[in-house]
Amino acid sequence: MTAFLLELRTEEIPANALPDARRQLGEGLRKGIAEAGFDGIEIRIMSTSLRLVATVENLPERQADRTERMTGPPTRIAYDDDGKPTKAAEGFAKKAGISVDQLETESTDKGEYLAATVVHEGRASAEILGELVPAVVGSMRFPKMMRWGLGEFFFVRPVHGLVALLGGDVVPMEVFGTEAGRTTVGHRVHAPGDFEVPSADDLAWELANRGVLIDPDERRRVLDERAAELAAEAGCRVHPDDALVAEHVELVEYPGLLRGAIDPEYLELPSEVVITTLRYHQKCLILENEDGSLAPQFLAVIDRRDDPEGLVRQGNEWVIGARLADARFFFEEDRKRSMEDWSEGLERLEFHRVLGSIAAKADRAGALAAALAERLGLDLDADALRRAAHLVKTDLLTNMVVEFPELQGVMGGHYLRLEGAAEELWTAARDHYRPTGFDGEIPASDTGRLLGLADRLDTIAGLFGVGEIPKGSGDPFGLRRAAQAVVKITAESGWALDLVDAAGAAVDGLAGVIDGPATETSAKVRDFLAGRVRRYLRDVVGVSGDAADAVMAAGWGDLSELRARAEALDAVRTSDRMRALGLAFKRVKNITEQAGETVVDPELFEQDEERELHAAADVFADRLAGCVGARRFDDAFAEMGKLAEVLDRFFVEVLVMCDDEKIRDNRVALLTKLRRDFLTLADLSRLQVDGGKE
Amino acid sequence: MDLQTLILNLQHFWAEHGCVIQQPLDLEVGAGTMHPETFLRVLGPEPYRVAYVQPSRRPADARYGENPFRLGRHLQLQVILKPSPDDVQGLFLRSLEALGIDPAVHDIRFEEDNWESPTLGAWGVGWQVLLDGMEVTQFTYFQQAGGIELAPISAELTYGLERIAMFLGRKDSIYDIEWGGGVPYGKIRLMDERESSTYGFEVADVEMLRRHMEDWEAEARRCLDHDPPLVIPAVEATLKTSHLFNLMDARGAVSVTERVGLIARVRKNAIRAAKAYVTQREELGHPLGNALEEVD
Repeated sequence: MTAFLLELRTEEIPANALPDARRQLGEGLRKGIAEAGFDGIEIRIMSTSLRLVATVENLPERQADRTERMTGPPTRIAYDDDGKPTKAAEGFAKKAGISVDQLETESTDKGEYLAATVVHEGRASAEILGELVPAVVGSMRFPKMMRWGLGEFFFVRPVHGLVALLGGDVVPMEVFGTEAGRTTVGHRVHAPGDFEVPSADDLAWELANRGVLIDPDERRRVLDERAAELAAEAGCRVHPDDALVAEHVELVEYPGLLRGAIDPEYLELPSEVVITTLRYHQKCLILENEDGSLAPQFLAVIDRRDDPEGLVRQGNEWVIGARLADARFFFEEDRKRSMEDWSEGLERLEFHRVLGSIAAKADRAGALAAALAERLGLDLDADALRRAAHLVKTDLLTNMVVEFPELQGVMGGHYLRLEGAAEELWTAARDHYRPTGFDGEIPASDTGRLLGLADRLDTIAGLFGVGEIPKGSGDPFGLRRAAQAVVKITAESGWALDLVDAAGAAVDGLAGVIDGPATETSAKVRDFLAGRVRRYLRDVVGVSGDAADAVMAAGWGDLSELRARAEALDAVRTSDRMRALGLAFKRVKNITEQAGETVVDPELFEQDEERELHAAADVFADRLAGCVGARRFDDAFAEMGKLAEVLDRFFVEVLVMCDDEKIRDNRVALLTKLRRDFLTLADLSRLQVDGGKE
Repeated sequence: MDLQTLILNLQHFWAEHGCVIQQPLDLEVGAGTMHPETFLRVLGPEPYRVAYVQPSRRPADARYGENPFRLGRHLQLQVILKPSPDDVQGLFLRSLEALGIDPAVHDIRFEEDNWESPTLGAWGVGWQVLLDGMEVTQFTYFQQAGGIELAPISAELTYGLERIAMFLGRKDSIYDIEWGGGVPYGKIRLMDERESSTYGFEVADVEMLRRHMEDWEAEARRCLDHDPPLVIPAVEATLKTSHLFNLMDARGAVSVTERVGLIARVRKNAIRAAKAYVTQREELGHPLGNALEEVD
């Protein structure tokens, strides 16, 4: 048993490509080693910004030999009359790779046949790896690949070195024109020279001595610990940013950290501006005080252990000072004009070639928001809403948002607040882009909710109207996320708003802007929203997919009502009664498929079970109305459940499709009435009998 | 180190490493990449090494001389190494030493930053090089130019000279850096930045720009239709259209939709010129040699 080591040295691999590079390398090697017949072999993949490393433990030196028994032609044709081997015998021996005198015979019930025992010698692991590694590395794919030098090779970055050791021996192989050897290099600053790796087990240790930590998990640990230490020394804590720390782990060979100072005057800027400036331009962590306010200190991750002359800290402090000064310049420039004044520029900001400027879009969104507010009976001034629709988009024109698009909304909120706008307005500007899909809170104020909803409905309706409909993974305008946000806002605002109507109103608002029949666009938008509503019930509310389908089949426009109905059904969907009702309701639906509206005539009942069902259905219908009116859907489904046994008895004892047409039609009429009442709550036939796991 | 010493040291360093020291293109361009010494030389199999300073005009980035970090016209020092040598990163690090930057006491990082120029039909893969957190150079392996897949691949190094000078001198404003002989940058350039901003944002005659863009686009086409095609004149006419587009854009006269169309028009001529250049060099028998054949 030996260990195998692979180290592929490259120029800096992008941080976002490394996790998948490790996955691909691991999967490729694992698959190849398993296919070579080695079981239970442990493979570990590690990396730094400059190298991909694989270690394989306890690899046998060669494959086990494999014996194969081959059957050949019948003996009678294998030898001639003189007992000499014929062409058939010789051919078989050749195929088996043995000489004719090594052939054996084998008796079967069909007669005697030639046979051969072939021993396939196991291949040496070194040989297998020599083929496997170049194939695996050569098949790795990255989002952005490149050529270099003369252009013969294609990888994520140029390759400069290859170490392949099985135990203490180099495994001969070539990857992208680079021959395998045992020479590698230490950290670019701390130990830049070449050195030889004695054997496969030594790399991690040898590199650690030369300033490189090859294990990403270890680098993460070191970073977290050191960051906490440095923060504690300053009496602060790190403003949490897990994604940024994870990125830094991939960006270095050694995870060094230093703490630097920020001129406290920059903390007068909105905290989002400070954090964004540090994060996006400098990838720096910021420290915060106990109360969550920002501290005038940052942490920079550096790819070295130390800062011997303090130059790295000085440099980072200077750059961050310059970046923050730049941000403050933008902030002050932006504040020289009122938002009202800025907003005039929205006419020149194009949203879409056909759908017009952002100003035109804001006109439509404002009108839609005002119409919805009226429908909901909200105490909001229509003109103020129309104006607000423009103001919440105005920050798109400001220097700060042009520089940091991710601060859209946030800056509008600050600028409006600072110029004394009403809280309802500035919070709406801040919040109306929230939530992102299903993630995050809905806006705090009615104005924020209405504008967020109207803006997105206009986006969806408009883009559907011009044929920009998401397909598969192609959703360049983020319409699915927009629709998810629409659903979440509608469902969680506590409004009795019919989303289908609201979407229809958005389509109507685009009359004259988009061609094509509005009804067709409305139908497409409605189906699109329905898909998001189902997902909302399933992923956010936590209702099973079949229960979501069942309740949506009974209507879904009013999402808070739908949600209550879905939760009520989901709570009882696996009960015996509901399962039984689900099956029975399938029969009801089949039988009543062709039926029109007819009246039940109790005089035509022949059996007690019919009368019993009729009475129970009447009671149900009676109570259903009360429950639905008061949104007591738990009670409604409990009432429905009471019909399970009655309906079962009915189907056991009563033959609906009897010969007498009048009696038959009357029975169908009874079931039709039942079906109609059931369908005000849910289509139980969509419940999966096995419990509907997804 | 003042600005001119920075330039002289870099030019000296790259001359010692086999670069032709070229002069700036005498036309308005947005980046050193647009100089035919880059845009055309990266095409085809001929090996080439060149370095030059290129004043780069970006009218939309101008700030009336009021923003201490942003300029409407800045200086790039552009290096092309074709084919990209194996130790190109090491060479680059040594060039920093020529600026008095000792990598042993700094944090120098190569962080992914890919480059694309829709107007030139060009893209590349690479990094921004950060020195103690400051972006000092753009490092790109050219993959495509003029819509043509490249082989051999060129490495392009673009040093942002004012930024480096600011950083090394720890100056809080570009205008405070020393150009040379004790003369500050601001005394030489500030008025120019102010006037160019006023011109670019307020005064430039959009109708005239549009007209001239049409004219130079047609002229580029005429050069390309000529038999044989006149490559350099076509590129120069195309670069003029590109700059006129940038001026119109800074004036806010280009809508998002129109932008795509205008860029496509510039690109079309750039791509034709690139193809014509490749043919021309083939017909000339690749006077500078053939890197792909030398290996065989």
